[in-house]
Amino acid sequence: MNPSTDDLAPAGTGRARAAKRRPAPAKRAIDRLDGLLSGAVKTGLWVWVAMLVVLTVWVVVTSLKTNGEVFTDPFGLPKSPQWRNYRLAWSVSGFGQAAFSSVTVVAASALLTMVIATPAAYVLARVNRRSADRVITYFAIGMGIPAQALVVPFFLMSNDLSTFMTEWVTGWWDDRISLALIYVVLSLPFTVYLLTMYFRSLPTEIEEAAAVDGAGPTRTFVEIMVPLARHGLVTALVLNIVALWNETLFVLIVVGDPQQRTLPAALLELYNTMQYTSNWGGLFAGIVILVMPMILLYLWAGRRIVQAMTQGAIK
Amino acid sequence: MARSVGGVRGERDRIYVPYLLPALLIYTFLFIAPAAVTIWYSFTKWQGLGTTAHYNGLANYRAMLSNSVFLTAFRNTLILVVVGGAFVFALTFLTMVVMREMRGRSFVRSMLFVPCILSPIAIGTAVGFLLNPDGALNQVLSDVGLHSLTRGWLGPDLIFKCIIAAVVWISTGFYVAIMMSRVDAIPEDLYETARLAGANRLEQFRYITFPLTRDALSTGAVLWVIGAVKTFEIVIAFTGTAGNPPIQARSAAVEQYLAVTGGVSGTPELGSAAAIGVVMFLLTAVLVVALRRLLRSEAVEL
Repeated sequence: MNPSTDDLAPAGTGRARAAKRRPAPAKRAIDRLDGLLSGAVKTGLWVWVAMLVVLTVWVVVTSLKTNGEVFTDPFGLPKSPQWRNYRLAWSVSGFGQAAFSSVTVVAASALLTMVIATPAAYVLARVNRRSADRVITYFAIGMGIPAQALVVPFFLMSNDLSTFMTEWVTGWWDDRISLALIYVVLSLPFTVYLLTMYFRSLPTEIEEAAAVDGAGPTRTFVEIMVPLARHGLVTALVLNIVALWNETLFVLIVVGDPQQRTLPAALLELYNTMQYTSNWGGLFAGIVILVMPMILLYLWAGRRIVQAMTQGAIK
Repeated sequence: MARSVGGVRGERDRIYVPYLLPALLIYTFLFIAPAAVTIWYSFTKWQGLGTTAHYNGLANYRAMLSNSVFLTAFRNTLILVVVGGAFVFALTFLTMVVMREMRGRSFVRSMLFVPCILSPIAIGTAVGFLLNPDGALNQVLSDVGLHSLTRGWLGPDLIFKCIIAAVVWISTGFYVAIMMSRVDAIPEDLYETARLAGANRLEQFRYITFPLTRDALSTGAVLWVIGAVKTFEIVIAFTGTAGNPPIQARSAAVEQYLAVTGGVSGTPELGSAAAIGVVMFLLTAVLVVALRRLLRSEAVEL
């Protein structure tokens, strides 16, 4: 028996004895209450799940309705599915452009984050130096600093960068490049931390064998450790993709031209024009365009996402 | 070319600096340093690009304490963190009581998680449409004869309560996942023994599940605080960016966004935007330290 089970003794022996000493009807009443409560909670959980499913289905169905149907019959089926809602959202309301911005900015910044964070995490996990622990803590602090503490300097820096590049270097600048760079910086602390924990969980024998066989440290890292850590790397990549795909604050602040903004901002923009255009079917098509890639990603890597987000959090 | 393991370690030490340096420099100069510069900006009066910043000491902070709009935004954020947090963790605990032995539990768990990976803007737009004065919820309420229950859900009186409810609804699944992944690690025979001794589910939760998940609770609570202080998107999605969101609905992050962009027609106030950022950081830090103290416990080893 280990100490923890002693701590738990009241749950077993002591409690049980107390329960037995309690007059039987009282205990039975409590147990009935207990049963009632858990029944209620279970029902509540299923209702919660049902709400989610209904809301999702409702959004998809609404995205296929005419404007009239959206209001006269909010919970019915459309007479004929209005696929043109999607066509219009894509071409007229700018979701095509926004999807392009989202995909390029998110892909570029998520990949660049990995390229910078992976080598750092590897040496932090493997080198036995006291400074390594301090550096890990230093990166972990970044996870607790709200992005709002960076809004003003990032706003100014992206403006300066744009002016500098336009006037001195290239003659043009695209705010989406600044946005991607900001995303790399914002993703770095979490990614370094998560990957360090992951590399630590990997066995050291293989790389040591490789090194004894004559592979230098760089070759060992590129040809052995990166493939070996594939699972953890993909997980970190997916988590960053999810977070960046949904990011809205810095898009609104950094990217001046609404035409260049990503999908969440495009949806907001369309929502704001609703009182003039009332293209409600198109609005819901926009919601589907924004949300569908994440749902597909979740269907593909759901277990991995949940595991990394929760266990990465606990460690 | 055989080398010893010690030599391998030595070689690995050689790549330590070059491998670490890019990440360390970027993080230091583009994350930590700007965060520190924010503190400096917060002591200035600065009305945006093209104007100069003037040092004005603590004026931004003093203004925050006397300006009712700022105070409302911070009170809202605090209410969201505390009240929203109470709901999130109450629901999580209730779920932990039953989920271990529930039929379809892994399905329910993965479904509850879905809202946390979806854009709050998308969720807010869809739910906001349901909650509009002439939206579907009020229509359904009057159709089933509950006309007295219809209200302006997104009107000034109720909007912040709706925002809290939405945040709770979106994020609870994440905390359920965190806590349940810890519950999974508890050996089944502890529950078996407890059941044989006549302990009901609440007692099992009280004496087994709760004490053995304390460390995960402490982490979960910290993550909640860090996330909830930043609440921004859902407010914007409920109120839109076309006009300034009603004061009653604003969180600190929304207030800061308005200060940076200048709102609809006003001038930007970069100095006070920086000050809001600093206060949000302090709020996070204080709450995290307090929670760590409050929830500190010796880890129960199994």
